[in-house]
Parts: sequence; structure tokens; C-alpha cells
Amino acid sequence: MRASDLKPIVALTAMLAALPLAVRMNNYYVLLLTWILYYSTLVTAWNVIGGLAGQLDLAAASYIGLGAYTMGTLLTRLDVTPWVGIPLGGLVAAGFAALVGYPTFRFGLKEAWYALATISSVVVLQKLFLVWEEIGGPEERYLPARYGELYYLRFRGYAPYYYILLAVLVMVLLLNVKIRRSKTGYYLLAIRENEEAAEILGIDVRKYKLRALLIYAFVTGCIGGIFALISGYLHPHHFDTWTSLQVAILGIVGGAGVGSIYSLPATTFIIYSISELLRSTLGGWIPGIHLIFYGVILTVVVLLKPEGLSETYERLYGRIRAALLRRRAGGG
Amino acid sequence: MLELLLQNLVNGILMGCVYALVALGLALQFGVMDIINFAHGEFVMIAMYLVFWISLYLAIPGSLTSLIVAPIYFVFGLVIYKLVIDRIVGTYPLAQIAATIGLMVLLRNLALAAWRAQPRGLQYEVLRGSVTLGPVVVPISRLTAALVSVGTMLALRWFLTHTRLGLALRATSDDMQAASLLGINVRRMFALAFGLGCAIIGIAAAFIMTFQQVNPESGLTWGLISWIIVVMAGLGGVSGVLLSGLILGMVEALEITFWDPRASLAVMYSLFILILWVKPRGLFGRR
Repeated sequence: MRASDLKPIVALTAMLAALPLAVRMNNYYVLLLTWILYYSTLVTAWNVIGGLAGQLDLAAASYIGLGAYTMGTLLTRLDVTPWVGIPLGGLVAAGFAALVGYPTFRFGLKEAWYALATISSVVVLQKLFLVWEEIGGPEERYLPARYGELYYLRFRGYAPYYYILLAVLVMVLLLNVKIRRSKTGYYLLAIRENEEAAEILGIDVRKYKLRALLIYAFVTGCIGGIFALISGYLHPHHFDTWTSLQVAILGIVGGAGVGSIYSLPATTFIIYSISELLRSTLGGWIPGIHLIFYGVILTVVVLLKPEGLSETYERLYGRIRAALLRRRAGGG
Repeated sequence: MLELLLQNLVNGILMGCVYALVALGLALQFGVMDIINFAHGEFVMIAMYLVFWISLYLAIPGSLTSLIVAPIYFVFGLVIYKLVIDRIVGTYPLAQIAATIGLMVLLRNLALAAWRAQPRGLQYEVLRGSVTLGPVVVPISRLTAALVSVGTMLALRWFLTHTRLGLALRATSDDMQAASLLGINVRRMFALAFGLGCAIIGIAAAFIMTFQQVNPESGLTWGLISWIIVVMAGLGGVSGVLLSGLILGMVEALEITFWDPRASLAVMYSLFILILWVKPRGLFGRR
């Protein structure tokens, strides 16, 4: 990893760490920021499989649900701290990913078929947990309400979760930069551009796709555990196909794998804020207006700018920078 | 137990015919233009709402609205084709998936915005009651839906094998370039296939509404059921679609009899993943 890779991460972290203070810890805004960070971490993790490896994965909710149930069940039944439960949830999610992913890549499922198989896995798990009364079942299972204890990681406000997610986001960003610069990263890009050509060049396509999938599933499983802590209960609807779709939509609109990785949190920030604004102002008259917005933006971006918005940001950033430099040159 | 199994199997066979009809539209679109339409289930859901509202305002039975909804949906298909599909046919697959997922999210939430989340069912319907055959009770509504489904499928097969337009559609499906060289306007065939596929959805929706309710979330289930059938059928033509629908209906019936009805989707989608793994070209495919 180079120093130039670290600079933007440090700047971003400092900015995001200050944000809750900028809104004076207002509960509503901190909650909003927490969800923005939650989706940012998911999309940034998704970049490994969806961006670098170019597989349109819609199983994010499977991994979130498995991570949530693993952490939550260990916590409520055996009093195991989330510090252990969260990574274990990541492992369970990665195990499930391997179970589904190995044959999926082995039999060469690609493109739409991969997307369909992965979104089906979400529904399968949701229904199985609904029927599996010992662990899941149709009723909510609440996590212990022991607020403020570090052992239980349960807090009354959202700010602590915001900072936990910020730490996770930084780790996932670093992970992405590291993978991108590694041999695995170059292999994955080659696979995304042309799988047959990559295979002919001697890249073990299946192995590297599976590796990307496992990394992504592990991280997403961990985020699922944190999600359960924030929501405070377990329910089969944590296996939510809409979450999967939302993550993929943000990834595609953000141009996952095309430009800079920072385009993904930036896109999440913009789209989630607009959709929340729509929901809070017009949602009373038009329920689902914020979700309509997701559909519109995805369709429009894919039809007009199929490579996503990352390049647009870069051009914008370049223009702003040039304007600032010009002003400084003119002033001095 | 045996009676229950028999009853469920009869239900499964009837449902299987309906599933097949819903999937037929998708199979036609996929077969002709190789397009991956994730919004198919949402098309079904919107059509079911259309049936509900037309039946309510014109005070006619839901089954009769098929005569109105099918042509409306043919036009709807053409419009969607012009607006979205025409731009993504033949482009790279991820763009196709993403654009139709966008359409799916858009339609689902437009339905939610317009009609809220509560389920809607037809106010009145002439297809009521049931016939009793020994130990088995057959609801008239489901029986009619199954018969109409099979009838529509036979009609489509006749169209594809006995008319010039149908032959042109099949030629486009077999080899787009060769068809184009023979003077077939491929883009018009695409539009026709998309419109026809949607018209079939219109017919199916009218008869599904005679025994089911609709809510904005029901699209996902119909979409995935259709995808299972299309994958099972491969590019095996109309009879492949019907057989796959029947298999799916019976699998569901067996699951309901021997396990938990709430898990039936889990079993169906597991079957789907399994077929994708071992038989990606389908059980009845010719390619």
C-alpha cells in the first residue's frame, strides 16, 4: 500500500468522524448518517465481487441475515459477546457463500443466472428461518437490553454505532485498496473484462472468483451482526431481497470497479440523502416515493451512463479543483 | 393423508398450468431476443391490479377483463420495449440486468404508491363454487384458469407453427442474423415478441385474480416462479414450458403435504438453484 492511497482515507475518516458533531448529535441526523454508513460499508464490500470480479451478486441479504442470526443467537442463548459473535457471523456467512458459490462457479453460472441464483438464496434462507422455530420463527427475538456495557455492545443512541460502522468502513476501504493493488486484484479485473481470455492466460478463474466472494461474504456477515445490534432484534425479514437490490443498485450507479472506490460511499451518501428527503417530505402522501427514486435513478443511469457515475464525480472534482487553483493564482 | 395428497396434487396440477402460462410470456421474450427481464413478476402484479380496477369500475367479472387487459398489455409491452428494452437488446448482460432491475423496483413502488400495501381481491366473480370428484374438491375458478392456460398455450403454439408471422418469430429466435438476411425486420419481431409476452401476462393475471389477491410485493414471487420454469424448460418450446409448470406445481403440492406450507418457496427456489447448477440448459432444451 502506498502513502498516496492512505491520504484520501485519512481525509475521509476525519470528515466523517466530525459529521455527527456538525449536526450537534441530533438523534435524527445521526440515525440518518448511521444508515448511510451502513449502506456505504455494504456497497464498498460488494465492490470486491460486483466491481472487481464483475459478478452481479444479489445475496447480500443472505450474508447479513446469517451474520445477524449467528451473533444474536450466540448472544441471547450463550451470552457470547458480539466481539466474538460478529466475526463468527462473518465466518458462517462465508461458509454459506462457499456452499452456494463453489458449485455456482464450478458449473459456470454467469450474469443473469448468477444474479437469479443469489437472489433466490435470500428467499430460501428467509423461508427456512421462518420455519426453523428453534433459532428463527415468525416472532421477533429481542437482544438483551443491557445498554452501555461494552461486553454487549448495546447503546441507547446511534452515535456509538455510527463510529463502529465508520471503523468498519475504513477497514473495508483499506481492504479494497489492498486487493486492487494485489495480484488477486489484477486477476479479478482480467476476469471481469473477459473471462475466457483470463482463463486462457492461465488464471484460475474459479479460484479467484470464489476468493472474492468469500471476502465479500465475510465482511457482509460481520456488518449483518452490527445491523442486528442496531435494530435490536432478530427476525427472518432481515433476509430482505430489497437490501440486496439496494446494495447492487448503489454499486452499479456508483460505478463499482470502474473508477475510484470513493465513488461508492459518495453515491450512497447522495442517493440515500435524497431518498430520505423524499420520504420525509412527500412520503406521507406518496408511500414508497423514495423507492421509486431508486428505480428511476438506476434505469436512467444504466440507459444514459452504463459505466456509472464515478467518472462524473472525477470530472466535477477536477473542475472544482481547477477553479480553486485559478482563484488562488488570481488572488496571489 | 392419501386424500390430502390427492387433493394437493390436483391443486398442484391446476396451479402448474397457471404457472406455465405466466412463464410463457417470459419464455417467449427470452427465446426470441435473449433478453433477461427481471421486471416480469412486476408486470404480472401490475396486470393483476389492472384486472382488479377494471372489474371494479366496469362491474364485470374478473375473468372477463382478460379481453380488455390483454390488448392493453400488448400496447404496454410495446411501450416498454420502445422506452427501455430496445436500447439494451444486444448490449452487455450487466446493463440488461441492471436496467430491468431498475424497472422492477420502479414498478413495484409505483404500485405501492398508487394502491398502498393492503391486498386487493375481486369484489365479485362468476367463477364460484366447486365440483366434487370422489375425495377431491376442485374449485371452478382454478379449473377454469388451468383450462384457459392450456388453451392459450395451444393457441400460441399454433400461431408459432402455422402463421407466417409466427414462423418469422421462430426464425428470429433460431438465428437472428440469418433471419435478418432473409428480410425479416428483427427489431419488429422483438417488439412483437415483447408485446405478445405481455398480452399473455394479461390473460394469466385475469384468471389468477379469480382465486388470489394481489399486493405490491407479490411481483417477486411471480417473477421467480417464471424464471424457474424458463430455466427448467430451456428453449424447449411451449410444451417444455407446460411440463415444467406442471413439475413445479406438483413439487409445491408434495412440499405442502409433507412439510410446512410456509417453506414451499424455499423448496422451489432450492430446486431452481439446483437446476441452474446441473442442468443450465434446462430439462427440455433443444440447444
